Formats: sequence, C-alpha cells, structure tokens
Amino acid sequence: MTRTASPKLGAYAGLAALGLLAALVLGLPELVLLAAPFALVAALGTLQVRAPRIDVEVELDRERALEGELVDVWIRFGAGNGVEQIDVLLGLPPGLEVEEGTNPSTLRLDAGEERVLPLQLRCVRWGAFDVGKVHLRSHDSFGLFRHETVIDRRRPLKVYPAEESVRTLLRPSETQVFSGNHVARQKAEGIEFADIRQFVVGDRIKHVNWRATARRGELWVNEHHAERNADVVIFLDAFAEARRGGRSTLDPALRAAASLAARYLRQRDRVGFVSFGGTLNWLLPSTGARQLYRIVDAMLDTQIILSYAWRNLVVIPRRTLPPQALVVALTPLLDDRAANALLDLRARGFDLVVIEVSPLDLVGTMRGAKREIAYRLWRLRRDAVRGRFERAGVPVAVWNDDSSFAVAMEEVDAFRRHARTAPV
Amino acid sequence: MVVGYSAIVGDRLVAVVTSIGCTGLVVTAVALLGRWTAFLPWGFVGVGAGYALFLSLRPGAVDAGAPLLAAAFFIGAEFCFWSIERRSWRSERQVIVHRLALLFSAGLAAAIVGGLLLLVTSGRDIGIGYEAAGTAAAVLTLAVIALLVRRSRGLVHPPRRGG
Repeated sequence: MTRTASPKLGAYAGLAALGLLAALVLGLPELVLLAAPFALVAALGTLQVRAPRIDVEVELDRERALEGELVDVWIRFGAGNGVEQIDVLLGLPPGLEVEEGTNPSTLRLDAGEERVLPLQLRCVRWGAFDVGKVHLRSHDSFGLFRHETVIDRRRPLKVYPAEESVRTLLRPSETQVFSGNHVARQKAEGIEFADIRQFVVGDRIKHVNWRATARRGELWVNEHHAERNADVVIFLDAFAEARRGGRSTLDPALRAAASLAARYLRQRDRVGFVSFGGTLNWLLPSTGARQLYRIVDAMLDTQIILSYAWRNLVVIPRRTLPPQALVVALTPLLDDRAANALLDLRARGFDLVVIEVSPLDLVGTMRGAKREIAYRLWRLRRDAVRGRFERAGVPVAVWNDDSSFAVAMEEVDAFRRHARTAPV
Repeated sequence: MVVGYSAIVGDRLVAVVTSIGCTGLVVTAVALLGRWTAFLPWGFVGVGAGYALFLSLRPGAVDAGAPLLAAAFFIGAEFCFWSIERRSWRSERQVIVHRLALLFSAGLAAAIVGGLLLLVTSGRDIGIGYEAAGTAAAVLTLAVIALLVRRSRGLVHPPRRGG
C-alpha cells in the first residue's frame, strides 16, 4: 500500500506556520486563533494516519456470457479497520461497460463493516477477459493523506460472439465416411432413393423394387444415397481489419463464424477452424458440443496482429485442412496474403467459398480529388481480387450493412447451384 | 466573510485593507477555476494579510469577532480544498454527510475554543512570562508540525500486491 501526503497537508502546515509567526512578530493574538485550526488539523491528521486494512473479493455471476448480455459483479469488502473515504475503481477492459452502478465510486467503511458494491456490466464485445483488478484509494478524515493499492482478484469472463442468422447452410460437394445429414453422391445404405439395378446375390429382400420386378419379370432392387457427414473448415482472415469507432470487419466475421460452426456441428458435421493472420492458428475438425466450445475459445484468441514477417506466405500447411473439406472463408479482402492463400487452397482442390465482409461501410467520405481517385483505385483493386476468385470458380458474396449474413449465404449457394466449376 | 468584516468594522486605511483582502479572494478564485492546488494557499495568505493589517491598524483590545472569523476562515479553506479535488464521479451520500458534519464540528470547535481562549487571556495582564511562554508554545507547535509533516512525507511504503 502506497502512502502519499496530499498538497493540502503542506498548505495547512504552511498557513499555520505563517499565521503563528505573524502573530509572534506583530503581537496579534487573533492571528493565533486564525492559524490554530490549520495547525491542529495538520498535527492530528499526521498523528492519526494509519494504513487501512481492507479485504476485497470480486464475484461474477457467471464465467460465460454472450455479446450484449449483462453480467452482475459484486465487489465485497470484508470487515476491516474502517476507512473514512475510499475510492473504488474496478478496472474494465474495453469490451465491457458499466450498465448499472457507479464505477469508480466513493464509499465510507466503518470498522468491522462488511459491504457489497454491486455493478452490472454489459458485454459490448466478444473476447476473453479478466475482471477483478480493483484500484483502491483511501483518504483520511481531512484528506491530508491517501493510501493507494491495487488488489488483484481477477476472474475469467468469456464473452462469446452473438449469433448471426443463418437460414441455409452450404452443402459440401464432397462428403466424408461417417454418417450425417448430407445426402452423399455415393450409393450405399441410406434413405434417399438414387436408382434401381438388377438384383445380385447378397442384396437384401427389403431393397427389392417389386413394381419394377413385376414389370420386367426379374428381380430389381432400389439403390440409395448414403447419409454422410462433411468436413467444414471455417477460415478467418486475421491479417487486417477495417475499424471505425465501435465497428469493425472482424466482429461480424467472428459472429458469422461462430454461428456457422454451431449450425454445422448441430447437423453432425466435423468442423474445424483456421485463423490466418500475423499467426496461424488452427483447430482440426471434430464433432460435438465440446468442439463448439473449442472453436469459440479459439476464436476469442483471434486478434489482428500486424505482421510483415511472412510477407510471401501464401501456403497453409497441408495438415491443417482435411482433404475434400468445404472451406468457408470470411475475409475483408484487405490483405493480398489472405487472398493468395485462399486461391492456393482452391488450386489444391478444396471446395472454397468466400464471404467478403465489406469494409466499404467503414470508410469515411472522401474529400478532395486525390483521395477520391485513391478510393476509386482501391475499389478497382478489390474488384480485381474478386475477379481472380470468380475465375477460379470460387463464389464470392459481399456481406455489408445493406444485407444480412443469410443473404450472402443464399447468394453463394445460388452461385454453387448454377455455376460450373472452372478448371483450375 | 473575513474580508467583509475587515472592510465594515475597520476605520483606518479601509481601502488598502479591502484591496489586500480582495486580492487574496481573486487569487483563491483563480486557483479554484484553474484547479491549481499549489496556488490556493496564497489566496488564503492574502485574505489573512488583509485581516492582519486591519488588526494592526485597529486600536484598543483584542478583536472579539476573531474566533468566529477563524472558524469561517477554516471552513472556507476546507470547502475550497474539497471543491478542487479531482473527482468526476459522485460520492456516496453517507460520505458527503459525514464530511460536512466533521467540517462544521471542527469549525464550531475552533470558534468555541478560540472564544474561551480569548475570554481567559483578555482579563489578565500580560507579563513577560506569559509572552515568553506563548512564544515558546508557538515555536514548539511549528516545530512539531514541521517534524510530523516531514516524517509523514518520508513514509512511503512500497506497493504490495494483493492488498
């Protein structure tokens, strides 16, 4: 605990000294009366000064919350030796804001008194936070001394991104060997009717198509498409983001990624996650609720790290992506490295889809001829990058303020249904 | 209040007394507006200097209004320091009430003790012994205050984690 004397102490001591000296020199007893209160307060305050004994605990009502939700926090003061006045500040990271309660606040604690200071926080932005660093500053009765300390009672708080609405999920062009909800191209045991063929030894009686058999005079059986699962990898471009005020391109991309992961996992697909930026983080595909938590936790660690170390890095290591996976890329198309890496994935035969989180809404108005020309060139360059994807048969949908994520997904789905895959 | 009292009750060099007091008030006001804590005591010194000049020009016995003025001066100074504290958030009502009560109690105590002192000392003939004792008490008080302030300023504990 750090003790500091306030400027008031020096001022009071000086006033007392000056008053008493003047009283002595001028022989005016009234000046003694004028100076006496200052002298007494300075002397008593200095004699009584003691470091307060404060015990603080911080409690959160939960450790996980969704973006936009409210979390209750209680700062508990245990029985101490009393403080005349104490300033309490709970240190909050930028993603959390006080919704209800006062932070900082000033309290008075009697000796042996236990107090609870309730606060309600709003989770403004996703992220993994530590809440509970309490800054304390106590003052004595006349504010001559202050004691300052920081008590670290941090508790983890994970704020998961809010969900974006997803109406339809993209159907992967290739399925895997495990059972799932996708109708595979391959014929095997399943529910969806595929074709009929002549009976061969080993076929089960229940598959006999009796109508075709009666018409042709020999046994014919039904064939089915297998219900398989798919590997889906969500690719998050973390090379660069556009940010303006509280809005950025990374935030909606992350929300969409979390929503996609939840939806694909719900239909028993294996979902993986790759965050490609200043560092490469990946999570191999897997299924189940645990994988969803793993993915979201990995997403919370995602941040934009400006890096020029890998200037020519365009290749994502082979092990990070399973073969024949559907790769859904969420990118603002601000960095060529991400675009080149995605095109390399396409060249390696991955089923790739690009959702462009448009940064155009975050760009301010361009004033001046030079700025306007620069802006137009930048937009043309973006169109050129988009053109490279389209020439490679990769659907690109622009997701901006005017449309929802569901619309962008529909657009990509429509492209995949109608377009033929271009030769790579 | 101190400046007003000196201006109203005084009968010699009123303009000079008032202007010195007003200079102190202006300095105080400027310090408050600019939130300059170091500048604030100089305003009080100006007000006190005006009152000291009024007292030295005043013929006759001890000023009977001194205890009240001392209390008002102290309360005024406390309010000035309170208002200059850098705090952008609201304090708990209990803190404000307690501080106000303490402030007015201290002011009242200063007035009562001052009045009693004046009552005790005014009836007596001041001899050389009393004067010497008073001077010694004043010097001792100053020395004690200086010592305490020096000690308290030197006492800085290193920060300790976890309270």
